Amino acid sequence: MAASAAQKVQEIREVTRIERIGAHSHIRGLGLDDALDARNVSQGMVGQVTARRAAGIILEMIKDGKIAGRACLIAGQPGTGKTAIAMGMAQALGQDTPFTAMAGSEIFSLEMSKTEALTQAFRKSIGVRIKEETEIIEGEVVEIQIDRPAAGTGAKVGKLTLKTTEMETIYDLGQKMIESLTKEKVQAGDIITIDKATGKITRLGRSFTRARDYDAMGPQTKFVQCPEGELQKRKEVVHTVSLHEIDVINSRTQGFLALFSGDTGEIKSEVREQINAKVAEWREEGKAEIVPGVLFIDEVHMLDIECFSYLNRALETDMAPVLIMATNRGITRIRGTNYQSPHGIPIDLLDRLLIIATTPYEEKEVKQILKIRCEEEDVEMSDDALTVLTRIGMETSLRYSIQIITSANLVCRKRKGAEVNVDDIKRVYALFLDESRSTQFLKEYQQEFMFNELGGDKEEMDVS
Amino acid sequence: MAAVGVDMERHLIELGESEMAAEDVLTDRQTIVDLDRKRNKTREALRSLQKDKETEKTWLCMGNMFLKLPKPKAKEMLQKDFDQLDEEINKLRKNLKIKVDKLRDIEQEDSLKGFHLQPLSKEELKAIDSVL
Repeated sequence: MAASAAQKVQEIREVTRIERIGAHSHIRGLGLDDALDARNVSQGMVGQVTARRAAGIILEMIKDGKIAGRACLIAGQPGTGKTAIAMGMAQALGQDTPFTAMAGSEIFSLEMSKTEALTQAFRKSIGVRIKEETEIIEGEVVEIQIDRPAAGTGAKVGKLTLKTTEMETIYDLGQKMIESLTKEKVQAGDIITIDKATGKITRLGRSFTRARDYDAMGPQTKFVQCPEGELQKRKEVVHTVSLHEIDVINSRTQGFLALFSGDTGEIKSEVREQINAKVAEWREEGKAEIVPGVLFIDEVHMLDIECFSYLNRALETDMAPVLIMATNRGITRIRGTNYQSPHGIPIDLLDRLLIIATTPYEEKEVKQILKIRCEEEDVEMSDDALTVLTRIGMETSLRYSIQIITSANLVCRKRKGAEVNVDDIKRVYALFLDESRSTQFLKEYQQEFMFNELGGDKEEMDVS
Repeated sequence: MAAVGVDMERHLIELGESEMAAEDVLTDRQTIVDLDRKRNKTREALRSLQKDKETEKTWLCMGNMFLKLPKPKAKEMLQKDFDQLDEEINKLRKNLKIKVDKLRDIEQEDSLKGFHLQPLSKEELKAIDSVL
């Protein structure tokens, strides 16, 4: 039971993990070798060798638990693989380390304050490892025998024969157990576990030796091996839950349902304090371990000065995760002020960051990335077409050429072609404008658009 | 050449150590299985004594000797056996953990995550059950 529940949690985690990576679904890790040197093409990563190596070193420090409460910034032009590196780090950290990805603009909501949203993100990124221990009886049902009283009503009694590969034994059953066995529809040949403390029965599946009992069976029928070893086992399950999850179930006003509806609202600071105290107590008693995770904030220049000062302070608390931020801005105005600062981040925060820079991809690398994306999207593409696409990628942007892949594939499918060729690419290129052609078009036909008299103010437009 | 020999020797020693530790773990596991089998048999015997309400005395097979004993006495002996078996299994399980850890250490693998944590109590688990 506990194991299946644990799986469920992991499934839920998976969903949050793939939430924002649509464009980066091909990334499996950072593509580093044992000596932390970046292999040129590996695990979906191409080029960016120095940045990846830097990320790898940070990753090792995170794994060792050395840099909790530190922050790093990935800075570079648009389309240079910042998010890809962050995703690679998330993948390389594995299931066990909490990883939360968010975009800077996600914190602006009418339902909760900015700092509350940030606090929640922080606490989502801190895991608490706890252990559950249960005594269970696990075995294959050899026989169930239920005696019904002749009168029809009254207490039933029965016997249950269970076996493992090593032993076999008979249990006497009472009324309650018989009821739950009937409820679970347990029959001879099933593998079941019985929780000793609660008496809860779980059906794990049918025994392999019974696989030929029937020809027709439901699609859900799962076959499992007959358990080995002793019948009465002790099962230890280690769970990692995030502090935020504990917050939510303990904040009385909403109950645990809030966890699934996604709308958790604000959580009182007293609740958080209590939970911090409880977790500290568990840690003291050896019942819990803190797993500092990673919080990734994309487009961090979207945060304003209040958020930055909050981050400054929050990084100093004893249960802070590793904060990774990414931005594509150069020297720009800090949101909420009139001051300019590199990356739109106040100098005092910038001073605390380890900064990783990404550089634009070279032609060879662009080609490689496009090839990987073609594989990821199941698109067959001729070599010539790929070369043309690479040129387009170099002259416009990598994102534009990646988008062309899917649409060119559609064009190709429409003419019933087997693989995308140069004509398909040309057609799509003519159909969809890239950013620079669109700008050029606007410049030429400015006069014919509406409100063109505002054109002169363009320079003063607020872009932050 | 000499260096190769020394290297070989060291490897052999290491291999021997890990084999020994692994053997230790396997023996303990087998012992637990055997003890559990005994425990289940004892439990079955206790049950059948409890159900049978007619006879005063009963036959009890100890090793390969049959003894005729008064029922309360037989029950008492079985219960004592049962408790002892329980205790022994628990002791083995506790030591097994240390041995597995040692084995992993010899094989230069990381110790399992959360291996040495104390389990949460039932109330504590219930409180956070919905997230597990």
